Amino acid sequence: MTTPIQDQALSLTVNGVPVGPMPVPRGTSMQEFLHEWLGLTGARMGCGQGICNACTVMVEEDGKVPREMRTCITGAHWFEGRRVRTVEGHAREEADGSLTLSPVQTAFVEAFAFQCGYCTPGFVTAATVLIQRLKAAPVPRDAVEAVVTEALDHHICRCTGYVRYHTAVRDLVLATPGLVTA
Amino acid sequence: MRKILLAAAGLALGGAALIGLLASGALERSVVSRAVETPLGADQIQALAPRGAAVAAAADCYACHTARGGAPWAGGMPFETPFGTIHATNISPSPEGIGGWSRAEFHRALRDGIAPGGRHLYPAMPYTAYRGMTEGDVDALYAYLITREKMPVANRPNGLAFPFDQRWTLSAWNLLHLPAAVAVPDPTRSDLWNRGRYVAEALGHCGECHTPRNLMQGLRGEAALTGAVIEGLEAPDITPAGLARMGFAPASLARFMGTGLSAQGGATHQMFEVVHYSTRHMARADLAAMAAYLFDRDAPGPEMDPAVPAAAPAPTPLAAAVSGRARASYDGLCAGCHGAQGEGIPHVSVALRTNAGLRTASPASVVRAVLAGLPAQTFPGGERMEAMPGFAADLDDAALADLTNWMRTEWGGQASTLSPQDMAAIRAAITPRHAARD
Repeated sequence: MTTPIQDQALSLTVNGVPVGPMPVPRGTSMQEFLHEWLGLTGARMGCGQGICNACTVMVEEDGKVPREMRTCITGAHWFEGRRVRTVEGHAREEADGSLTLSPVQTAFVEAFAFQCGYCTPGFVTAATVLIQRLKAAPVPRDAVEAVVTEALDHHICRCTGYVRYHTAVRDLVLATPGLVTA
Repeated sequence: MRKILLAAAGLALGGAALIGLLASGALERSVVSRAVETPLGADQIQALAPRGAAVAAAADCYACHTARGGAPWAGGMPFETPFGTIHATNISPSPEGIGGWSRAEFHRALRDGIAPGGRHLYPAMPYTAYRGMTEGDVDALYAYLITREKMPVANRPNGLAFPFDQRWTLSAWNLLHLPAAVAVPDPTRSDLWNRGRYVAEALGHCGECHTPRNLMQGLRGEAALTGAVIEGLEAPDITPAGLARMGFAPASLARFMGTGLSAQGGATHQMFEVVHYSTRHMARADLAAMAAYLFDRDAPGPEMDPAVPAAAPAPTPLAAAVSGRARASYDGLCAGCHGAQGEGIPHVSVALRTNAGLRTASPASVVRAVLAGLPAQTFPGGERMEAMPGFAADLDDAALADLTNWMRTEWGGQASTLSPQDMAAIRAAITPRHAARD
């Protein structure tokens, strides 16, 4: 079944930078748009079925906790007018041009959390969303283990680095003031 | 005044007499013959047990008598009824289960709804359907269950309010809803149709979900199989007209019951459990017979060529503004898995273009799937469908109404004018239990 390509203008904000309006064929996935139009290849193509979550990005809204969205199964035009943060947008660029990794990224590096790194952008996204969520709604200390599991559970790592990802996020949550009650 | 007093006294006396009569069990009508008073020998039990496994599968005993994550046959599965919560009981051969039951006691529980000691079963246990089972099948089932592993699991108490916790009141219910006689084969119909009726009505108890109930929760015989609402979802109309409306033919229905998948979509929600625990384990001949009976045919329907795509219904008109907004939601959130044309992806996601869920009277099943998602499902032959994420946070009620109306008109061929309020009602009925982990 073929349908003619039909362009539709798309504007959104990616990693704090306004993008568009630019013509993008209707039906283009967000992942393809990030890779092919913007050159941002960090959101990885894994399963293409919304199962592995290597492709997730954060959708940011004022006054709300950011959400994870799977870019392989979500259309680019769904992000029209929205603010998106990909894995390329987590580190802070300093005045001298150097990069400072985010606390989550730093925790992953220090814990040797990843091997091949293919799934890492998704884990960075999930862990960052969790940290933001806990800033808004801290949880008791004894719930942290389960909360971290629940937050990372849907991300698949074929190198099976789950324990180190989990440890890194748990330690970061416990070491960051304001995320845990009593 | 005196007359009124006398009449009142007479009524009270009559009422007391009726209650006494009901409680005494004098009005109960057993269909169990004296022949089953003779216990089965060990050799007979051993010989019958394999056939009993097939009976248990067709009668779908396991799905209710095993709690999810619980010990097999040990009960504990909760059922929400309008009168309170009922828990399925332990039917393993332990003392808590049916370990001490004789052959005759098992027959009376299954076909009369009365357990040892005269304890009435609640009709959540479909003894009104099992009443039609043959003595041979009940014996086989007894032989199968009594040879399972003993599970020493205590039965969970029911949470029923007065007067529904008074089991003897069920003799009144039985008087009204339990047929005095059981169906006998209809000589004017084929063996296929008669076998199908037995499989669908007595063993499979399709009507327990697909037939609407009256206020006393009795099945409304005049509306048999015309569809009913179970836990907020529609068990669809499975009369010949209802099945045709969903796009089924006898052969495709039989295949759907055996595999859980068809061009009409996958078995979801409660029907997935029916396929998972029961119909996929049934003999193909019984599935064909059941399909013939449900389509009210004496002969099997023509075999279907799986290479020929199922026909999709013709779209019905919808305002361009609605379809435009819906198409944007669909392209953004749905098309990635279900395809731009609703064609689905094999082994991943079902087709929507020919999906029965878009053709049924109620949209609740589809809307709940969109909001709460669906768990990953396994089907026979290594087949599976991937988990569907829930989109409750991404679609407000207006967008959801547009999307549902568009899918139901475009692919379901239905007239659909659902409002945001309709969507809000379905959204409100979703509990954490329904939310799928994806």
